Amino acid sequence: MKGMLQIFQQAVPAKGLSSRNNFVPREETLLEIAADGQVRGFCGHVDLGTGIATSLAQIMAEELDAEPAQVQMVLGHTDQTPDQGATIASESIQVTARPLRRAAAQARLILLQRAAELTKLRVDELDIRNGRISTADGSVDLGFSDLVSGLSVRCELDAKTPVKPVSRYRLVGQDLPRVDIPDKVTGRAVYVHDVRVPDMVHGRVIRPPYGGYDHGPFVGRTLLSVDRQSVAGMPGLLDIVVLGDFVGVVAEREEQAAAIAAALHLTWAPVALPNLSDPLEALKANPYTERVVLDRGDAQAALPELSQRLDREYFWPYQMHGSIGPSCSVAHWQEGKLKVWSGTQNPHMLQADLALLMGLEPTCVSVIRHEAAGCYGRNCADDVGGDAALLSRAVGRPVRVQLSREQEHVWEPKGAAQLVSIRGGLDEAGQPLAYDLHTSYPSNVSPLLALVLTGAVPAAVPQVAQMGDRTSVPPYAYQNARITVRDMPPMARASWFRGVSALPNSFAHDSYIDELAAAAGVDPLEYRLRYLPDERAATLLKATAAKADWQPRVTLPQPDARARVLAGRGLAYAQYVHGTFPGVPAAWAAWVADVEVDRLTGVVTVTRAVVGQDAGLMINPAGVRHQLHGNVVQSISRALKEQVTFDTEGVESREWGGYPIITFPEVPWIDSVLVNQPEQPPLGAGESTSVPSAAAIANALYAATGVRFRDAPFTPEKVKARLDEALGPLQPPVPTALAALATFGQPASPAAKQRNWKTILRAGGLAGLFAVVGGGLSSLLPWRVAIAPVPPPVPGMFSQSVIDRGAQVAAAGDCAVCHTVPGGIENAGGFGLKTPFGTIYTTNLTPDPETGLGHWSYTAFARAMREGVSRDGHHLYPAFPYTSFARINDTDMQALYAYLMSQQPVRQEVPSSRLTFPYNIRAFMAGWNTLFHSSAPFTPDLARSALWNRGAYLAEGAGHCSGCHTPRNALGAERWRSAYLAGGEAEGWNAPALSNLSVSPLPWSEQDLYAYLRTGFSPNHGPAGGPMAPVVHAMQALPDEDVQAIAHYIASFDTRQPTEPVLARRQAVLAAAATQQALDAGEGARIYNTACAACHEGEGAHLYGARPQLALNSNVWAKTPDNVVNVLLNGAPDPAHGSANTMPAYRDLLSDRQIVEVVSYLRRTMAPGEKPWPNLPERVAALRALAHP
Amino acid sequence: MVASVFLNVNGRRHEVVASPATPLLNILRNDLGLNGPKFGCGLGACGACTVLLDGQAARSCSVRLDTAARCANIVTLEGLSADGKDPVQLAFVKAQAAQCGYCLNGMVMTLRAFLDAVPNPDERGLREALKYNFCRCGTHMEILCAAKIAAGLKPETDLT
Repeated sequence: MKGMLQIFQQAVPAKGLSSRNNFVPREETLLEIAADGQVRGFCGHVDLGTGIATSLAQIMAEELDAEPAQVQMVLGHTDQTPDQGATIASESIQVTARPLRRAAAQARLILLQRAAELTKLRVDELDIRNGRISTADGSVDLGFSDLVSGLSVRCELDAKTPVKPVSRYRLVGQDLPRVDIPDKVTGRAVYVHDVRVPDMVHGRVIRPPYGGYDHGPFVGRTLLSVDRQSVAGMPGLLDIVVLGDFVGVVAEREEQAAAIAAALHLTWAPVALPNLSDPLEALKANPYTERVVLDRGDAQAALPELSQRLDREYFWPYQMHGSIGPSCSVAHWQEGKLKVWSGTQNPHMLQADLALLMGLEPTCVSVIRHEAAGCYGRNCADDVGGDAALLSRAVGRPVRVQLSREQEHVWEPKGAAQLVSIRGGLDEAGQPLAYDLHTSYPSNVSPLLALVLTGAVPAAVPQVAQMGDRTSVPPYAYQNARITVRDMPPMARASWFRGVSALPNSFAHDSYIDELAAAAGVDPLEYRLRYLPDERAATLLKATAAKADWQPRVTLPQPDARARVLAGRGLAYAQYVHGTFPGVPAAWAAWVADVEVDRLTGVVTVTRAVVGQDAGLMINPAGVRHQLHGNVVQSISRALKEQVTFDTEGVESREWGGYPIITFPEVPWIDSVLVNQPEQPPLGAGESTSVPSAAAIANALYAATGVRFRDAPFTPEKVKARLDEALGPLQPPVPTALAALATFGQPASPAAKQRNWKTILRAGGLAGLFAVVGGGLSSLLPWRVAIAPVPPPVPGMFSQSVIDRGAQVAAAGDCAVCHTVPGGIENAGGFGLKTPFGTIYTTNLTPDPETGLGHWSYTAFARAMREGVSRDGHHLYPAFPYTSFARINDTDMQALYAYLMSQQPVRQEVPSSRLTFPYNIRAFMAGWNTLFHSSAPFTPDLARSALWNRGAYLAEGAGHCSGCHTPRNALGAERWRSAYLAGGEAEGWNAPALSNLSVSPLPWSEQDLYAYLRTGFSPNHGPAGGPMAPVVHAMQALPDEDVQAIAHYIASFDTRQPTEPVLARRQAVLAAAATQQALDAGEGARIYNTACAACHEGEGAHLYGARPQLALNSNVWAKTPDNVVNVLLNGAPDPAHGSANTMPAYRDLLSDRQIVEVVSYLRRTMAPGEKPWPNLPERVAALRALAHP
Repeated sequence: MVASVFLNVNGRRHEVVASPATPLLNILRNDLGLNGPKFGCGLGACGACTVLLDGQAARSCSVRLDTAARCANIVTLEGLSADGKDPVQLAFVKAQAAQCGYCLNGMVMTLRAFLDAVPNPDERGLREALKYNFCRCGTHMEILCAAKIAAGLKPETDLT
């Protein structure tokens, strides 16, 4: 059965922020009832996780007298919903719900008339309840489907249709569970991130180097060249799209697109960004035009009359939405039409922007809105739609683009920094005589990024958005007041963010009146009430204060300068006024905040927040309370923790470590006071409660400490510094140092005795030395004879058991580690080893006749392995550890040969090595060998066990541990005699000492070494990282007893022992670190706790993976920071341990400054008592400058 | 460098062909079409991508495919219960513990693993267990309330 009832309205052009020149007259459907009785409501606003899908359905169900479940909301789909502008300023219930309510009322009347027709009764004999039409006597019982079937009604909204009086509400005002939560909690909800379209491929964008700026002469014109060859042949590549400064790549798979985007080499012109390292100074220097929005009395004239003058400045930093999910969109371009699935806040604005970007009529662009990660204003949700559209047009397929965390952090339009200055003060009676406020707010509300990157919209001169005026007029009846808004262009990319300018404006208003009350010696509650003419405001403030049991306070704070914890209470009040000035007031809100300040760390904790709100009629009180909680928690986070930092490359806060937000242990329980005003119109709820937050907290801080904080956020280092200055520093407890490890017994010596130049000197004197170094004069041969080529091996030449044994020798020797390029074919060579003497490229070990070992006889192979001489007679460099391989016995050597010669031949030329003088003269190596090399076979130390000698054979021979872990002399030879395993270098990393010189806080026991080598992770030390990770990978082919033997052997060089049991020592090390961590809350601590601690902190049974406890890691105890910095820069993409998380590379995510902060923190807290690393900033810069080690 | 790998996800065996270095999250979402785990940071910091690897909470953005293949059981939000009736899921519905809900997967999965390992925690333990799961909407109170319900503790009054 067919049938339809629809109510529509004529579209009107959007106003204000949402307006675009794209108005098309059309009929906009508001409500539709289908033949099956399903009601659908259409709203141009979207649900940003605030629950409006539930409340709007509730409102419509109320007017229709339907069940809420009968009403389904369609939100933000441009083809289906009215254009009601951006979903901003808490307007959905207050403004956009109105036509829906009336449409529902009108539909109800139509249904009743239809029922009257069908039943031949009068309308007043019929009633609708819970979606059923009935008579009092029960003779009629019809559903919506009975009425709509066969009906075809489409009528225009009648503005005169009466709506229900509040007294008859049955649904509105009741708690209603959210309609979306059951699907969200099971994974059934389809967020925009989950949209999958047939034939969809994946795109990634690469943003320009002006990170977080969308205006200026460089925008859209900085890209110099694109090296397409740099990604040629990468798997999955479909296209590279370049339009001005817009660059994107498309690939079949998401990770392929990410890899291509990372590898694509682009050249950009240098860009000089404005200096925003000090946003306050930048704000003061930013040009502006003044707009006086209130001029009451004569503030100028009153200023000289004041008996107490208080001139104050309040500063608010740049902050970010910080959506948990980076923005995502899917676009499909097809035959001149564009469909975009989007998480936008502003579907119709986006439609217009996309039409402009693509050169289409707006009617050719459909925006289909899905839920997305919460945003609290304009984030990158729209931008990514433009990105996806451009990429889809290029490849002609649907393209999904999700931004990276870094891109979202850097490019989301920020909540603008703001400066509010107030001149004023008190007369002799303590009355506030003058209030002269200037507020500066730099924003252009952020054009769609693709529009400015492609040059479709010029970006040289930004627009100026007049948004600094929200709640700029104070709620207090100052006799002489002038409010001046300084409208100014953006500095960094900025747009609206929760509370817009109202939160910073209120921070100023309500901090200032608190200062006035203190100066007047009046209780801050009473002082506010004296000057608060709005009765609903006063009622709310009193109710909130009563709930908190506010005690009047007339004396100044008297903090105990010796107490570690100071506590205090503050209050604040505000009404959020949104929209174009004079704006529309939303709900009233009041706060009483209790704070505690830890003097030693400077950490401020909000211990309790009592927050009141008067939002008029509450549609869904549960939803209002929910929004109140959300806003309170988020605004505490903003006031205490949040500020975007900038450096010369733009936004420096590029991941969560650089922009920490509140965590569960920091959240107070919140008492809400919801004033019930059912007869009053519903007002925007939730957001308004964020507005008084910062002032309440700052006022509580003052009450606790006597110090005023007028610049958010109230970070630990800021608070600590100011309190130390005001109250004198408080000494932290002196940490008790860990007892040093004692050594027991004599550490072992290697079995083999390496040749040493001193021996030669003793034997031949200086002349001998000169002779051998001179080479040509000596009897040594600078060029040895070539060994004749042999035919390449044929299959079946070696027995499988010999090959298998050879595979184990190769594993012990980690051949593939150096002879394979990352991602390349095993043992095909070409890996560049960086040495102090230049880069040495490893050779091709596969039996390819032309480029590998194909023509090598066993004799030639064994000579190379033992004497460092290539088949053709030229000398090899000891980066190839023939100095160790000489110990390999014949059986193993033959097996290794058999294994290598049985591999699949791979033709691969490797680059020739380039070394500095004298190493560039290969003949020089003849003399070097005389000095430093002994090709004597391995001889066991008979005083040691068989296990030890097996370990020695493997470690000193094939395993060549000393190649990295023993320091080298000036000529690059290992110092076996004096410093065996005393620590060396490998590929830009420190290879830590394995002897008693180890700095690890726990000794390296045999069990530790075995776990480390076998699994890649020792719970007492940490993971095998850097160049050691591939060594452990390679050793997986080694039998257990050989790994055991190596562990046994190496452990004999570390005879350190704790005085207590190892487990107790381990606990003591971790406890010492925890003590220091608890006293350290600066920026380094925040980066560690936010970016690192999720994997590195704690060892909970419920958490997956090896969890490296950094206090146990020798690298934080080491003399240099190199390994810590290296692993931060480069990450651990392929961990040795079989159940470990990868570690991300922070090279592009943390600045040098941030790395210095977090590395210093690790050193301070995890290695207590150790000296700070010297010249850390220089070292970080130097290690970054090195190519990927 | 693609390889064929078998994964046991939500009680079913799947063969996937991808590079061994591919983040498990991409495989779950793009190859298996699962929506529960979400990409939040790709850095293991926020927890939105949490899944259970052999019962433990793991950040699937930071677990390689070859690592995941060693696990006997991988469970996502979809696989927690046949009908959405895992006690943790029910507690989240009861406490209405979502605003946008993007972080919800991580909250539910982390709590599931935590309560399996620590069946009788106190509130402080619950807060610590969720410390490294970020929520931006400020739903912490409702989530803690859900956690308390799931842990058999009495929830706070402001929420009931």
